[in-house]
Amino acid sequence: MAQFEELQQAIIDGKAPVAKELTDKMLAEGIRPGEFFPKAIIPAMDEVGRRMRECEFFIPEVLIAARAARASSDILRPLLVGADAMTAAGTVVCGTVKGDLHDIGKNIVAMMLESAGFKIVDLGVDVTAEKIVNAVREHQANLVALSALLTTTMVNMKGVVEALSAAGLRTQVKIMVGGAPVTDAWAHSIGADGYGKDAPAAVELARQLVAA
Amino acid sequence: MTSSRERVRLALEHKEPDCVPLDLGATAVTGMHIDTVYRLRQELDLDPPGTPVKIIEPFQMLGEIKPDLIQALAIDTVQVGGTGTAFGFPMEGWKEWKTFGGVPALVPAGFNTQTEPNGDLLLYPQGDRSAPPSGHMPAGGYYFDVIVRQQPFEEKDLRVEDNLEEFSVLSDAETDHFRRCAEEFYTHTDKALVLNLGALSLGNIARVPGPALKCPRGIRDVEEWYVSLSSRRDLVYKIFEGQTKINLENVQKLYAAVGNRISVVNLTGTDFGAQNGPLVSPQTYRNLFLPFHKQVNDWVHRNTTWKTFIHSCGSVWYLVEDFIAAGFDVLNPVQCSAAHMNPYDLKSKFGDRITFWGGGVDTQATLPFGSPQEVREEVRERIRAFGPGGGFVFNAVHNIQALVPAENVLAMYRTAHEFGRYPLRVASAA
Repeated sequence: MAQFEELQQAIIDGKAPVAKELTDKMLAEGIRPGEFFPKAIIPAMDEVGRRMRECEFFIPEVLIAARAARASSDILRPLLVGADAMTAAGTVVCGTVKGDLHDIGKNIVAMMLESAGFKIVDLGVDVTAEKIVNAVREHQANLVALSALLTTTMVNMKGVVEALSAAGLRTQVKIMVGGAPVTDAWAHSIGADGYGKDAPAAVELARQLVAA
Repeated sequence: MTSSRERVRLALEHKEPDCVPLDLGATAVTGMHIDTVYRLRQELDLDPPGTPVKIIEPFQMLGEIKPDLIQALAIDTVQVGGTGTAFGFPMEGWKEWKTFGGVPALVPAGFNTQTEPNGDLLLYPQGDRSAPPSGHMPAGGYYFDVIVRQQPFEEKDLRVEDNLEEFSVLSDAETDHFRRCAEEFYTHTDKALVLNLGALSLGNIARVPGPALKCPRGIRDVEEWYVSLSSRRDLVYKIFEGQTKINLENVQKLYAAVGNRISVVNLTGTDFGAQNGPLVSPQTYRNLFLPFHKQVNDWVHRNTTWKTFIHSCGSVWYLVEDFIAAGFDVLNPVQCSAAHMNPYDLKSKFGDRITFWGGGVDTQATLPFGSPQEVREEVRERIRAFGPGGGFVFNAVHNIQALVPAENVLAMYRTAHEFGRYPLRVASAA
């Protein structure tokens, strides 16, 4: 158990080489790959999210912690097969909407969701509604996460909601939105299922939406 | 009648002038998108239809705020800026162009674009189409974004000089341009002059990727830069140290050229706030930025009558005390929609020590999507909050963006002009 705590601490402190070394060592000692997420990576990133909400962590600290989490999970993912296969918390198609090239917020949300056990299909920036519809179909996603920084592009979120409805996928997916000009009222007005005001809130929302 | 310059001076000294001073276009963060400038000029009958508007900032696509518009909106300020652009080509040799919004524009000769098969536009550093592009506007878009061209690097090979490549001491010709501009505006207008030199900002994330450089070296990726503020703190400190040395030299050269004709100098546009809180910890600001901001502020205050201006978007409540400690006199854009940025709280805690320049109406919701009546109500509310005792220069929160209705811009400035007369009608909505 102490080893999992040690790994958690390495992730929270953003020590990627330590996280990698510990992961290798623990695997060599026979710890099952499936144990790492519930016992170290998910709780560590939940703590990072808490610190971000409480204004103890800021963008640099969150990015560094996410990189450390990735150093561990990159080793583990290829091993999560057979008896160790982990059921993803959900499959999320995410992207910054058409006309918008800003991705740092979207990337942080994607990293936090991934560390919370979600499977991420990141379509990048300037993503058309059509591309999102196709990705939802192809990956059988149950969540769509949309980002926009600009007042001139946030309107394109509405087009994605409409396209998913037109494609007959609206009952299959929940849609969450976020980004600087986006609000709860805006999410409601375009028919999205929720608004995440920051990355930790987005993780919390994603958990609620897949459980609903 | 009080002159515009005197009105701004009194406000900056935390005294009540005859009315709240108004700004539009005195900086690259208090301006207006070219499409909106065009529609506003048409609405005010300042130009025949089809008359092009000059782009004065090709990154955010800001349009020129000409003297007739300044006059029509009773603006009190004017920008004194350089001849360069974020993409490294000079503001000269104007040619015709059209925005995706269909607005006729004049762009500098170096504004050379390439249209991608999907309709996206690419823009080139120093206008050189043989170099990898550094700007990208999606088809139908309104702004350029900087293309990150991060070269692979080994930790041991990182050099301070690589992240300083785009910073240099101003040429005599450039300094002379500032001198002529300042002299012209000081002599022929009564406006308050605001001095701008974009390169002064330390770690401005819009400039970190090096859009003016043909082959940027060092740390140029946005995420890598934020990580570096914590994990490569000593390197970043040395970069800021080197840049500040150049900044001090430039500020001294500029002062020698323009003297005390200037009312305010815009020293930094680096964003320290996000929607819900600071982007970096107050400790990071104190250790990494404050010492260098203070050096420049101290020089300005010891040697000139200029007031110093800091722009930072987002929630900066937890940083304002440090901005004041660094010596800044003016805070912009005062994003009241961000967390902990209640206008009354800001005024009561910091209002006697820093001037709020902006905060006049929300740019993310009210101005683009609200009705003129909602704009009027918000403007009156903000004047009630920030106006008492001076220490307030009216402007929207940041640049007025594309797709903002001209009637909302007019509602904003006309309300500020009418309602901003001292003594303020603080108690009632009037």
